[in-house]
Amino acid sequence: MSNLENKPELVFTDLPAGRTFRPLQYAVTKDLVQEYMETVGDRHPLYWDETLAKPGLIAPPGLAAIYARLSYLQDHSMPSGGVLAKQEFEFHNPALIGDILQVKAQVSESYLDEKGRRRVTFLIMAQNQEGQAVSTIRLYAIWPK
Amino acid sequence: MTQSPRGEGWEGVKIGEKEMLKNPQPGDSLPAIEKDIDQERIWQWAKLSGDFNRLHVDVAYAKQTRFGGTIAHGPMSLAFLNELMMDCFGRGWVAGGKLLEVRFIAPICPGDRIRIGGTVKEVKKRERKCAVECDLVIEKQNGGKAVLGRALGFLEAEGI
Repeated sequence: MSNLENKPELVFTDLPAGRTFRPLQYAVTKDLVQEYMETVGDRHPLYWDETLAKPGLIAPPGLAAIYARLSYLQDHSMPSGGVLAKQEFEFHNPALIGDILQVKAQVSESYLDEKGRRRVTFLIMAQNQEGQAVSTIRLYAIWPK
Repeated sequence: MTQSPRGEGWEGVKIGEKEMLKNPQPGDSLPAIEKDIDQERIWQWAKLSGDFNRLHVDVAYAKQTRFGGTIAHGPMSLAFLNELMMDCFGRGWVAGGKLLEVRFIAPICPGDRIRIGGTVKEVKKRERKCAVECDLVIEKQNGGKAVLGRALGFLEAEGI
């Protein structure tokens, strides 16, 4: 166990195909975007310049990498040693600062491959408070245990 | 983004200090970004993302693992790729953009200087949109590849 979080680990047997997780409510606040810009060093003007970003300031799309992970780990921690084999993101509509995204995760595939590795694929979809699609994410992982 | 009066090519437009792609052609290099990775940045990402796995934040623990030290979070690399795509496509990234087959080849560690870049692979002009497919790469200072992927972004004919 190499995780500091005080939550039970999410293990392979918890991840049958079809499993869903309770929706994550992810608030895109100005403070969050400020922290993102400082951490990543991405200061695109559409995130902060209101004269350019009409009708509203856009949330950095890279936040999808954060809320995707959180969407299946609200009640669990990630066991150490996993491998992210592949990730794919589709952006449908911009998330705006002030939006509260609802992020739903589902296990779309879960199987042992020919080498006995635990393969898990998540399908994650985010929409804004008006029900408009923001992103679709596919995450292909090799689960550690 | 405006189409030229002659209908030839696609003119770039500057958004603040960001210059979007201009008339991209297959083989063109994307405007690369460089980042210095240090433990402070990794710690900041841990706080931002809530991912405090010891492999990222516990230097003493990480030294005993097969990596020999802490490594940056994979999703941070995705943030860097998104930064590059925003520089290239602006709104044409967040409304229709696709980041495809992103694979992590090698860990990125404190002390690394990485280069986030790519190449235009294919350009398809359709009425008021220009679809641009790119190969993406994050390279380390020694030229080793850390992340590979593909992207499809759109340049709008009018407005941003």
